[in-house]
Amino acid sequence: MTTEKITRNDLRTIKGNVESARRLSPGGNVARVTVHMGTCGLASGAGDVMDALLGEINNTSVPDIMVRSSGCIGLCSREPLVTVETVNSEPVIYAHVDQAGMQKIFRQHIINGKPVVELALARGLAVNETPPLKDNKKNGRIPHISQIPFFGMQKSIALRNRGLIDPDNIEEYIWRDGYSALARALTELESSELISEVKISGLRGRGGGGFPTGMKWEFCAAARGDQKYVLCNADEGDPGAFMDRSIMEGDPHAIIEGMTIAAKAIGAHSGFIYCRAEYPLAVKRFNLAIEQARDRGLLGKDILESGFDFDISIYRGAGAFVCGEETALMASIEGLRGTPRPRPPFPAVSGLWKKPTVLNNVETYSNIPWIIKNGGAAYAGTGTESSKGTKVFALTGKVRNVGLVEVPMGTSIGRIIFDIGEGIPDDRKFKAAQLGGPSGGCLPVEHLNTPTDYEEITKAGAIMGSGGMIVMDQDTCMVDMARYFMDFCQDESCGKCTPCRVGTKRMLEILERICSGEGREGDIELLEDLAGTIKDCALCGLGQTAPNPVLSTIRYFRHEYEEHIRDRHCRAAVCSKLFSSPCQHMCPVGTNVPGYIALLRAGKIDDAYRVLSATNPFPSVCARVCSHPCESRCRRGQLDEPVAIRNLKRFITDNAKPDRINKLPVTMPEKIAVIGAGPSGLTAAFELKKRGYAVTVYEEAPRAGGMLLLGIPEYRLPAQILENEIQRILDTGITLHTETRVGRDIQFEELEKKFDIIYIAAGAHRSLTLGIQGENSEGVLGAVEFLRSFNMGEEVRIGQKAVIIGGGNAALDASRTALRLGCKEVTIAYRREMKDMPALEEEIHAAIEEGIRVKTLVGPKRITADKGHVTGVELVRMGTGDFDMSGRRKPVPIEGSNFVIEADTVISAIGQIPVLDFLSSTPDVEISGSIINVDRELRTRHPKVWAGGDSVTGPKMAIDAIRAGRVAAESIDRFIREGKGEKPLNPDEDGLIEIPQALEEEAYEMKRTAMPHADSSVCTGDFREVETGYSQTMAMAEAHRCLRCDTEDTGSHR
Amino acid sequence: MVTLEIDNQQVEVPEGTTILEAAKKLDIHIPTLCACTEMNHTPGACRVCLVEVDRAKSLVASCVYPVAQGMKVRTNTERVRRARRTVIEFLLSDHPADCNICQKSGQCELQAIAEQVGVRQIRFPVTDFSVHRIDDSSHALVRDSSKCINCLRCVTVCAEVQGVSLLTPEGRGFGSKVVPAMSANLADSACTYCGQCAVVCPTGAIVEKDETQKVWDALEDPHRHVVVQEAPAIRAQLGEEFGMEPGSLVTGKMIAALRKLGFDRVFDTNFTADLTIMEEGHELLKRLKTGGVLPMTTSCSPGWIKFIEHNYPELLPNVSTCKSPQQMFGALAKTYYAEFAGIDPAEIFVVSIMPCTAKKYEAARPEMCDSGYRDVDVVLTTRELARMIKQAGIDFTNLMDEPFDAPMGQYTGAGTIFGATGGVMEAALRTVYAVVTGASMPDLDIKPVRGLEGVKEAALEVGDFGEVKVAVAHGLANARKIMDRVVDGTADYHFIEIMACPGGCVGGGGQPLPASNEKREKRAAALYMDDSRVQKFRQSHENPSIKTLYEKFLKEPLGKKSHTLLHTHYVERSV
Repeated sequence: MTTEKITRNDLRTIKGNVESARRLSPGGNVARVTVHMGTCGLASGAGDVMDALLGEINNTSVPDIMVRSSGCIGLCSREPLVTVETVNSEPVIYAHVDQAGMQKIFRQHIINGKPVVELALARGLAVNETPPLKDNKKNGRIPHISQIPFFGMQKSIALRNRGLIDPDNIEEYIWRDGYSALARALTELESSELISEVKISGLRGRGGGGFPTGMKWEFCAAARGDQKYVLCNADEGDPGAFMDRSIMEGDPHAIIEGMTIAAKAIGAHSGFIYCRAEYPLAVKRFNLAIEQARDRGLLGKDILESGFDFDISIYRGAGAFVCGEETALMASIEGLRGTPRPRPPFPAVSGLWKKPTVLNNVETYSNIPWIIKNGGAAYAGTGTESSKGTKVFALTGKVRNVGLVEVPMGTSIGRIIFDIGEGIPDDRKFKAAQLGGPSGGCLPVEHLNTPTDYEEITKAGAIMGSGGMIVMDQDTCMVDMARYFMDFCQDESCGKCTPCRVGTKRMLEILERICSGEGREGDIELLEDLAGTIKDCALCGLGQTAPNPVLSTIRYFRHEYEEHIRDRHCRAAVCSKLFSSPCQHMCPVGTNVPGYIALLRAGKIDDAYRVLSATNPFPSVCARVCSHPCESRCRRGQLDEPVAIRNLKRFITDNAKPDRINKLPVTMPEKIAVIGAGPSGLTAAFELKKRGYAVTVYEEAPRAGGMLLLGIPEYRLPAQILENEIQRILDTGITLHTETRVGRDIQFEELEKKFDIIYIAAGAHRSLTLGIQGENSEGVLGAVEFLRSFNMGEEVRIGQKAVIIGGGNAALDASRTALRLGCKEVTIAYRREMKDMPALEEEIHAAIEEGIRVKTLVGPKRITADKGHVTGVELVRMGTGDFDMSGRRKPVPIEGSNFVIEADTVISAIGQIPVLDFLSSTPDVEISGSIINVDRELRTRHPKVWAGGDSVTGPKMAIDAIRAGRVAAESIDRFIREGKGEKPLNPDEDGLIEIPQALEEEAYEMKRTAMPHADSSVCTGDFREVETGYSQTMAMAEAHRCLRCDTEDTGSHR
Repeated sequence: MVTLEIDNQQVEVPEGTTILEAAKKLDIHIPTLCACTEMNHTPGACRVCLVEVDRAKSLVASCVYPVAQGMKVRTNTERVRRARRTVIEFLLSDHPADCNICQKSGQCELQAIAEQVGVRQIRFPVTDFSVHRIDDSSHALVRDSSKCINCLRCVTVCAEVQGVSLLTPEGRGFGSKVVPAMSANLADSACTYCGQCAVVCPTGAIVEKDETQKVWDALEDPHRHVVVQEAPAIRAQLGEEFGMEPGSLVTGKMIAALRKLGFDRVFDTNFTADLTIMEEGHELLKRLKTGGVLPMTTSCSPGWIKFIEHNYPELLPNVSTCKSPQQMFGALAKTYYAEFAGIDPAEIFVVSIMPCTAKKYEAARPEMCDSGYRDVDVVLTTRELARMIKQAGIDFTNLMDEPFDAPMGQYTGAGTIFGATGGVMEAALRTVYAVVTGASMPDLDIKPVRGLEGVKEAALEVGDFGEVKVAVAHGLANARKIMDRVVDGTADYHFIEIMACPGGCVGGGGQPLPASNEKREKRAAALYMDDSRVQKFRQSHENPSIKTLYEKFLKEPLGKKSHTLLHTHYVERSV
């Protein structure tokens, strides 16, 4: 390497030299191995990988191999990454490489020419750098980099050199046409032409403000002053943003070149890079780059013999977030306390040491050489009307591909998260994405289609910011998230201006009290009010944007704030002051889960049963069919897998001896009618009976049980189990009239006369129709009707080939029942992707295991029929389009992809609605759509009518119906007693059961105990229960997995 | 010139004018809190002076926002009123609610603004002030950081006006507070105790240490013979505390009030000011004659003394060894006056009334007990004296004038102008000239050393000595300018007067509040009027009581007794 000053022509020579030095050939270098050693790579062990590689080379006599390090290629979650290039074959990028992996790659790929397929991430170097070879069988199983959405959907401008060059080698930068834009800028273009090119490009400040870069330069160029400065803001401070670090570590010369071009444009000769001291590698590589550039005459006096002088020094900041604010940054460089100054004057006129100053951030500068080289118009060719070019996003949080992505402006947030980021691990549900860090806002599912465009994002309540995109799933509490960011801003506020210093503290205190269960009515409005004032009054951007996370979470997740304040409920089970254990908190009826598991461990199985039946009259039913929300936030899940709570409940209900039920006395004069003997109606009846009321239940079917009986097949819930539990409820002295349909056998008006209170729990028993041609053909059934007929023992005719349309639990139940009825081919046709199916995951797995075909991304177009009998279903294949309000991709029919599946039975399972015609002459009970309107306490507008369960919510889980029954009973009792000046009764107050203390023990990783299943080969007519229940040993092992999150504050159960 | 519209009224102002100033032209009053325009302090920090500007995204701080052609400003909209109210609500939520017992009550700018913007409730949690945050380690000042509202005025006055840069913001966010550097106690710091921070503080976060009770106790004690002295500036300030115009000369009322309070003798610091001229003038002459260390600087400002001890210890030999008039008075009260009146000096209790907070510290310096006792027992500021007069129910404005007591009450015009910047220099030159030439200066007024310019210079032909070059500085930042030149040898002065406070003692840390240069000028004018119109004698050596003092007690200037009682030494201190 020479260190002589170079000219413009030398740039070409160097490029050529590097080009030929890089060439691999059998006689020369036979391979090139690049270990990607950004901070992310090094943190994941890239240093060890490099050692292993060098060790292999030393220990083996091999031909020449080029070994080099490079910056991050963006896919941080797959580090360490290694790229291997060999003679005459495509490069291969390996992911998650450890020392052993490196050794294997060395021996198998580098020495023997066979890529290690299991470690390979992609072939190719970078998208568009090496187009895929047409016929490459050797690498055929490895996808080409352009075929991987993470890379293929990106467009690299700012990150154009990522992973391709050695940042410590200026010649490699020149090889990639580095400094050619500078040469052009210094020798061919006037300052005004440079500014105009940048203006044409439409480039806006990538640090967050989004101010047009060209305009900023123009102001500064026009400002009078003998001395001007070019500053680079490398004080990246947003939690979750690391693009600037990556560029500094991987491509430092791009920033030097960009800054020098800016210097020429405004007439500056001195520049500073303000970089946080927490970025030691960036500072090191940058210093080296500056030195190399100076040695080559690319910085300093008479750059490229153009007569233009410019030099740069690094100023290391101590890591104050506020120093990202331009005036604070300048104060810090001046040696003062890093606090902002009021503007105007703007830095372009009076900046560093009161001289005209241009300040841009790292990403902005790294775009500049590309723009000058390729022209502003080329840059403006990408992006949206107001947001041109590309933007780098730091994708973090609950997303599979954590890393840096550069996409054309306008790419939707959903595409970044779900295509490039490949969605959320474990296919959990997307909740929101925080854009723009602590100054930004969160965007919920309804904004997944929002394009990454400055104005659009702002309209949605967030900001582009520096491009941090933090993905959150259901485990994030939005109030807690707002609290976190407010805490951050409060910590990082410089304390100079009142609204930011005191206001953010007061907002934080209010958020803290909401998160600890001490929120008050009015707190949300107060937060909004304070947020508005702080935004309007604060001195600098930090304070003006600090309330944004609060405002955007209130805007989109106000219900979560309300739940915290009114119900002391945190649906993400994050705000731990609101509960003793997450499982109990998540249970809709608040069952003391850790309590009964502890009793089970202690061998007190009857006590365990008492605990779980205290809040739930259907313990055995729930032990089989509950959707177990308790398991969804189980802390054990953070270690390995959630405790199999439902299975333990099953063991207890199978093995405990329940107490005898006595008839309960009537102590209250009020008479109460319940419409519907399903889980909601029976729970309400039971709870009201416990409170001393005379209760009469009306049921249309011949037997009680509602959807539990009519909808759930026996192989999941044996009829006897259900009947036992219903009998225990009725034994308390509840009157049940079966085969009595309100509106047919008894009029609602009559009930109004005979009873003081009516609770409607009529369920949702009518299938939605498909609304397609041929639906009336024979052999087309509704799932609910089909299951009901079968469960009621009516004759059900099922053919040989059934197609079930839908993806919920009803579809699964119908399909598995059809299979058991002797149907030979059962196909579920679902219009979205498998992960979008609303059915319980274990149900889907069991169905597939039993031989049911699940066809996804197909939608019904037409029922084909012959002589009135169904012969098949015409389906159309679906592509995935934008995101809908549920956060799932909208299925979009693919024109001309129609096909027909033969079928003699078609079951529609696309949803159910309540049948409420008995209320048609009772206008006080409001119905909107197909469901009954109620308030938080389940009261209708009719003074004596309450309603709950599926007829209020639409189809939901059994446990939700049970909860509704409890809520209704408590509300009714409160209404009656408070009307008499009495206190509401809490019948569960007595009967304290001692819960065993938790033992101090180490938790070792241990997967959950699988539920034993009966043989999965299904024979016709076999409706035996599939899940057979834990053995004693299994139950004990599983019970030991409970971490006893409850023990910090409670040792007994009420 | 720029034309803009404020609240639908047109106004034309020069370019660079702030909205606040432009609004003033229209008699629109925008409340401000952190701003202190006199020292060019507009950090835009408190966010009280917010106004609406067309097309501005958020509200802007009118104290710093420059006007622009065609700008439209609204100062009284619900958005503005609400913002101001909430900002003050924020401040009050982080401020103790003990206004009624606060030393600053009634003079607190936060209190006044809260009333003005109409805060009637605090809607959110307030700070817990149970943790003790009071620094009363020093003799002069008490800092209560819980009352600090981060206006940063004290930081600016300390750095820009006083060149001390001791006070600085520390910490971040809600925890950020103004503290002495390195969070030191004031007693352990390089604080000069000049009290300018207390002068500019809008709240009670920095106040003088109130010692009025000690004086009440002494006055109550039958075994105490309590004598009082008042600095020159007091007579030009005290009236303001009772609603009189700044610049009212209230010497006679002041004496009457002090007698009513119960002081046994009412003397005057002006007497020892004359004495200081005798000693200091002769010291200068001696240095000039014997090739002593020059330039000589004055030593009557205790803030200046502490400043030089910390910042230019190598220049301590340049400082006159004369004690300040206050300390000369104390030493003589317990020796000369004790002898004169036949009172056991142990029973004599000396109280000073000073426009100064550093004097409290000076009186407590360990070397200040040459009388065998602590020379000055208690120092009160002008504000404290006014408090006592109010507590005693004295109707100050209607008091009949009374004269001083002998033998330490008589003074000349030279003594009285000590209270204004340049006064000591002028007084000293009058006497030096007379001593050297044997005749009075043809014109006793030395105008170049008067006025509020930061650094003033003059040269005077003084008989055989030829030209005597002098310089005068007030405000320690100005002192720094001169001393830096002394250090690098470019200051060819013979004599330098330095007063720690801007304007000299009329702008001292103990003056009536609020302070302004306009008031300082009026007070100085009153003193010059006292000198030129009221006093019979205008040169210190003409003071008959001084002559008697030398005849009967001291014998001669710079004599043995003077050396013991009236001169002192200094201590090198670290920064």
